Amino acid sequence: MDHRKYMRVLKLDESELASRRAFFELTDEDLARLARLRPFAEKYTDAIVEEFYKLLLGHAETKKFFPDPDTIKRVKRSQREYFLGLFTGKCDLAYLEDRLRVGNTHERIGLSTKWYLGAYRKYLQLISEYLFEELKDPAEARAAFASIQKLVYFDTALATDTYLAAKLEAIDRHQAAIRELSTPVIRVHHRILLMPLVGAIDSRRANQVMDSVLLKVTEAQAKCIIIDIAGVPVVDTKVADSLVKTTAAVHLLGAETILTGITAQVARTIVQLGVDISTMHTLSRLAEGIELALSLIGKSIQSTKRAPRRTSKRTVRRG
Amino acid sequence: MDETVARYELKIETEDDIVLVRRKARDIAEACGFDLFAKAAVTTATSELARNVWVHAGRGIAVIERLSDGVRSGVRVAFKDEGPGIPDVERVLAGGYSTAKSMGLGLSGSRRLVDEFSIESVAGKGTTVTFVKWTQY
Amino acid sequence: MKGIIPILRLGRTLLATIQTDLRDNVAQAFQEDVLLALESRGTNGLVIDISGLETVDTFVARVLAETGRMAKLMGATTVLVGMRPEVAGTLVRMGYSMEGVQTALNLQEGLALLRASRTRTTSSQRARRH
Repeated sequence: MDHRKYMRVLKLDESELASRRAFFELTDEDLARLARLRPFAEKYTDAIVEEFYKLLLGHAETKKFFPDPDTIKRVKRSQREYFLGLFTGKCDLAYLEDRLRVGNTHERIGLSTKWYLGAYRKYLQLISEYLFEELKDPAEARAAFASIQKLVYFDTALATDTYLAAKLEAIDRHQAAIRELSTPVIRVHHRILLMPLVGAIDSRRANQVMDSVLLKVTEAQAKCIIIDIAGVPVVDTKVADSLVKTTAAVHLLGAETILTGITAQVARTIVQLGVDISTMHTLSRLAEGIELALSLIGKSIQSTKRAPRRTSKRTVRRG
Repeated sequence: MDETVARYELKIETEDDIVLVRRKARDIAEACGFDLFAKAAVTTATSELARNVWVHAGRGIAVIERLSDGVRSGVRVAFKDEGPGIPDVERVLAGGYSTAKSMGLGLSGSRRLVDEFSIESVAGKGTTVTFVKWTQY
Repeated sequence: MKGIIPILRLGRTLLATIQTDLRDNVAQAFQEDVLLALESRGTNGLVIDISGLETVDTFVARVLAETGRMAKLMGATTVLVGMRPEVAGTLVRMGYSMEGVQTALNLQEGLALLRASRTRTTSSQRARRH
């Protein structure tokens, strides 16, 4: 997933940024302090990155993410950039986007959150060691480390968010596919269509159902479409409203809608909408719906009569 | 985070202009990848609101923008006129203003077709009606 | 015929096909032509084919509904045919109900509808006479 999409899925706007900064207590003072520490960062970045990768390469399960020397060189360079990025003194939406891009990369290669968090821990340990060594005044070192810690945790939150966002997006894609599969339209007779709705219907799916119904009715020039909702577990007012609208739209085309699979609860919901249902065809059983549909096109189901048994004529042979 | 990818400004001075504005909005919706029904929603809302400008203010402009928020595409259409304005917007939207009935139907109807809708109107000064419709994903 | 919308006669039915954008003057001319054509004796049906209309806003819907009402005053039944699915969807989502206008899927259906309504009228007239 594109890192800009994360911004949207995670609702990362100015107010969200402000809220996060407030909770992580990441103030302008912290950022200014970090900017002042840039020389420190540049001095020790190589050492920190080397130590950092010693951990990752020394552990079998994380080593496999860095299969060859070229990859290692490349990621060390990115890591260096990342580290220095903590000391820009800026934490705006552009910064967020940039951090998301990093998280995006890791998520795409399948690096799971436990490695991520473990890595950040190592990072903080290394930074604190070098920081306390460099800044002789312990109070200054403590203040500096506190600021770094705030921003590193802030980044960690973003990184774990990208994993969440990626999963949410995958779920959305699957739901879309499921929606596609769940609204088939079957031609049961020359001018009669049947749409069996199965599964939960949210407002988005309800909208798609209406569009699909209208397209199919026009395409087939069907006089009648039966929409069976027996397989829909919950029919709330939004879904009921959508069904009523679908019926009205089909009527505008010059065709009829028959709703079957109506339970007592659904009947109540529809009536409570307060719309005019006098012209709606609603039935509880699909079989009745099919019979009604046939009658609307001037046909009906007849039982076949058994052919009359021939009486055998007994011939008497005279002989 | 919304980015304007393209922007078009069209005049609404004659009845024929309504059709031109509508066609432009449709073209942008098509370019965004809207499906048949979403395209119809954009086109119809545009037609309604453009006609409102022509009927009630005599003249105005339509600003059509193609938007992107990084993932979705969208169409934003803003109608601006310096006409008599709508004195009680809420009432008109609720369909309760009988003399502006024709305008009310178009306004409230259009609002139901789109994702974002706003009206700024000052009686005697003018009106700006803006709507946005986004693609699903 | 004054307007640009062609009106054909099929027996006792008029068939009008709207394919252009309905502008004020076009709509007005169309309605005048319809009324004029309905003055002929025996013409008591009007089919308006709107399969060519991609967009139907409240203005167009009003013109169509009005035409239907005018035709009714002249003793004719009006049927709209060929409405596009996206038009139907949009009208309903807007909350606009095309009241007083009958609709049918296509010309064939529309003519059948008119035939059926004529039979009903004749039999009810016969019933009244007795």
